Amino acid sequence: MPDLSIIFDMGVVALRFLMPVYAIIIVYQCFAAMRRRRRPETPLISLLNPATGEMLPVLFWENSIGRSKSSDVTVDDPTVSRNHCVLLRRKDGWYVSDTDSKSGTMLNGKRTRGRAKVLIDDTITIGGTSLIVKRGEEFQQPLQSSWFFSKVSDKPAMKSWKLMLLITFFHFFMCVQAMFWNDGTNTTAPLVLFGALAAVEWGFFFISYFVIRRVNFELESLALFLTGIGVMMLIRQSERSAYVQLVAAAIGMIIFCIIIKLIEDPDKVNKLRLPAMICAVGLLGVTIVFGKITNGAANWIYIGSFSFQPSELAKIIFIFIGASSLDVLMTKKNLLEYIIFSAVCVGLLALMGDFGTALIFFVTFLLTAFMRSGDFKTIILAVAAAIFGVTFVLKFKPYVADRFSGWRHVWEHTQDNLGYQQARVLTYMASGGLFGVGIGNGFLKQVAASESDLVFGLVSEEMGVIVAFTLAVAVGAMFIYARAITTRSRSTFYSISACCAAGLFVVQLSLNVFGATDVLPLTGVTFPFVSAGGSSIMSCWGLVAFIKAADERTYSVKR
Amino acid sequence: MKKILRRSTLIYIVALAFIGGLGYLAFELVTGADDWVDQAYNAHIAGDGGLAQAGAIYDRNGTALAQTVDGKRVYNESESVRKSLLHVVGDDSLNISTAVQSMYRSQLIGYNLVFGLNMPESLRASHDIKLTVDSATCAAAYDVLAAYNKKGACVIYNYKTGEVICSVSTMAYDPQAPPEITEDNESEYEGVYLDNVLSSTFTPGSIFKIVTSAAAIENIPDLYDRTWVCNGSENIGGSEVTCTETHGTLTYKEAMAHSCNIVFAKLAVELGSDTMTKTAEKIGINSSFDVDGIKTAKGSYDVSDANENQLGWSGVGQYNDKVNPMQMAIICGSIANGGKATNPTLIKDESILSALGINYKSSGQELFSSDTATKLDDVMRYTVSDYYGDNLFGGLTVCAKTGTGEVGDDKNPNGWMVGYSKDEDCPLAFACVVQDSGFGFQYAGPVVEAAMIQAAKSLGASAVQ
Repeated sequence: MPDLSIIFDMGVVALRFLMPVYAIIIVYQCFAAMRRRRRPETPLISLLNPATGEMLPVLFWENSIGRSKSSDVTVDDPTVSRNHCVLLRRKDGWYVSDTDSKSGTMLNGKRTRGRAKVLIDDTITIGGTSLIVKRGEEFQQPLQSSWFFSKVSDKPAMKSWKLMLLITFFHFFMCVQAMFWNDGTNTTAPLVLFGALAAVEWGFFFISYFVIRRVNFELESLALFLTGIGVMMLIRQSERSAYVQLVAAAIGMIIFCIIIKLIEDPDKVNKLRLPAMICAVGLLGVTIVFGKITNGAANWIYIGSFSFQPSELAKIIFIFIGASSLDVLMTKKNLLEYIIFSAVCVGLLALMGDFGTALIFFVTFLLTAFMRSGDFKTIILAVAAAIFGVTFVLKFKPYVADRFSGWRHVWEHTQDNLGYQQARVLTYMASGGLFGVGIGNGFLKQVAASESDLVFGLVSEEMGVIVAFTLAVAVGAMFIYARAITTRSRSTFYSISACCAAGLFVVQLSLNVFGATDVLPLTGVTFPFVSAGGSSIMSCWGLVAFIKAADERTYSVKR
Repeated sequence: MKKILRRSTLIYIVALAFIGGLGYLAFELVTGADDWVDQAYNAHIAGDGGLAQAGAIYDRNGTALAQTVDGKRVYNESESVRKSLLHVVGDDSLNISTAVQSMYRSQLIGYNLVFGLNMPESLRASHDIKLTVDSATCAAAYDVLAAYNKKGACVIYNYKTGEVICSVSTMAYDPQAPPEITEDNESEYEGVYLDNVLSSTFTPGSIFKIVTSAAAIENIPDLYDRTWVCNGSENIGGSEVTCTETHGTLTYKEAMAHSCNIVFAKLAVELGSDTMTKTAEKIGINSSFDVDGIKTAKGSYDVSDANENQLGWSGVGQYNDKVNPMQMAIICGSIANGGKATNPTLIKDESILSALGINYKSSGQELFSSDTATKLDDVMRYTVSDYYGDNLFGGLTVCAKTGTGEVGDDKNPNGWMVGYSKDEDCPLAFACVVQDSGFGFQYAGPVVEAAMIQAAKSLGASAVQ
């Protein structure tokens, strides 16, 4: 019956055409939900200047007060320092903290030392200006809002469970594709994996919703969407890896919850800095001594049959060390401690030969250093030092450069390791077309590291170029979200760590996508959430915790 | 907090760079996808799986050379045609990398970036390709060439349009039943996947005297006034240079017609290695020519380490000289064209412009000055009319040169014949080589004769009607 086979073929094709559209809808819905489910922006408290009768809104959880135009509350008085003090909100109320001002900060006539608790109708005196603390409702004028949250339509956001259902169906369609692969054998395996994946996804959703009682789940939904794609892609490559990946992702979700709990108090976090630094340097040091060389870089540690990449865990610590609350930021301007720590980390990674991760750390360092200090000099100095270091290495160890000599010449190196992987990524990416050849029908999966370093090519080949680009944009767009919530975080600790974690994702994503496709010379880093690799997926979930923590509702609002 | 927000703009730059990179990648994908797909290792198109839905390949007259019938690849019904065009058409595998079925497999099976390579077969669109070759001419050349049972090549192309009429490479096998090459029989099939027309080089022997002639015409003003004496052998630079016979007193034109080694060895020594190398470079001996994107094997003229005797031998196409058959056909074609080379093509141009008779393709490089080309044309015509007789290939007006490239090692020499026909309705250049054979005229001659007469008939030339 030839007619039936054509109908079946049409069904397969229709499914393949559907997937890219579906992926775009899901990613759009995730971000749309992030935009819409917001409290209206109103001042938290306000400050009354009795001399002028002017009412100043206090919009953020941490506010710098001073003469400077870039202060959150600007006081136009020559006796006030540029950055005079910080007014910050904590769980138990408001505090004022002097930030090394010339004339000091008075609270109800008394000079403050450290943080002093502020109550409504208290008077804060800075220089020759007094400000009386009033409730937020007493400020009546309209406020501007970040474009991400402005002009949001009145249509209510998609309910979290509906979004989850959409995502689960996407994974189910992947499962259907994998069941009807060209090989034809072992048709039930994807179904079993899908069951396990759905159980993990919905388990996490229910725990978050009913046990931790969080109000929102969009960021987790997006991460689950990406994670699930990574897991389902593995079914036709290595069934065992698929389950390892799923278990690692589940552990990652636990790490996600632990980190959010751990950094709940942005002030207590300071005590963890030193042990965390020692831990990070120790991890990298141990790798140098005991690491095994895999694909040119000695960045793996093996304990029995269990293996992991300590540098992935170090990423979480690296983000954590970089951030701090606003009053600390204003008073402790010296970056030396952070610079030394970063230099040691980058140096150790370069020693391992893991240049990709070293570059990720370096760029993340630049972003963090700039967000902390706003100082271009530091950035330029660091870049100059890095260029000097790289030139030095290339001069005395010219063989290092040979590793990159295939760059932009992969078609001359299709049979040696300078261009073998990249040429195959390009060939199979083009072979997949816009809609892919279907899960399990690709051939890139036979190339080593296709499920991790080359996963962009694997997704392109089997699910099509549109889906692959959509996933890349989805990870990249996490930064847009992290930046949009910057001023609505409970502390600069969260806003800096969220932006830098998202920045790290973007850098890592760039190296993964462009390294595999010969746009950039480096390979050997993973695609956040999608690449196979236990340490990698755990670190991604750990990092996304910082973005989640930057959302003020994560801690303050419960269902 | 506002400051932090402002500073985070730096990350925007990173994000923008990322978006820019994605755009660049998309651009590269759109422009490069066709080439990226056509790789020998691409498992989507390797094997007959890729050809189960492929379009047909036709010769210039519409004869099917290969087509897919009920999911099976079927080649032309004539065994001679199948074998003669093995290296042009290719077989089911991707082993012959320069063949049309390897180079254009993605087009044949209907690849495009939108649908990729794994659309179900019932929904796939395939494309046909029409070639410039004439299957009858190829079969005629192959039958003569294959009878020697030696490695060889014969190519004929239209030096006005660039269309390749005949391209045959031996040894060949039947693409309908490819041999299983094992350790036992691999010596028998050595180099069988290589198209000798495009990808092999051979010692040229006397056909290289065309190059030495060009150097002499351009650099020795009294060339046509001189005479030489040939005693069968002569000491040049401390060792003997030998000739095939004792020619006695010769003018330049007679020396070319009788292919006297002594005269040309002396000319090479007189011209010197710099002038000889410069001329060889200009003619393109050390370069590749482009045939539909395939680079021909580079010939070689390198006398940088040669002594005087070796320089002399290099002038008669010995020493370490090497040339490629397609390269020699292009060189001969450019002589016929007044010095300009026309790039050959195997793919029939079916665009509207070509239907209107407009040749929009850029003409190739100039290999000879028009004066040199005229003089070479004259001497090569003289070679045929004076030495071989004028009724060589039916009634065609032929200019040619034969060669016998000695290779040593107890092997028989390479028999060569290169040249072209001057007829307005049959402007064809040819090159033929038979390895391990003997005198060029004796071995390559009959192959060219069979092929040229058939080609002239197929083109409807008046000289052979």
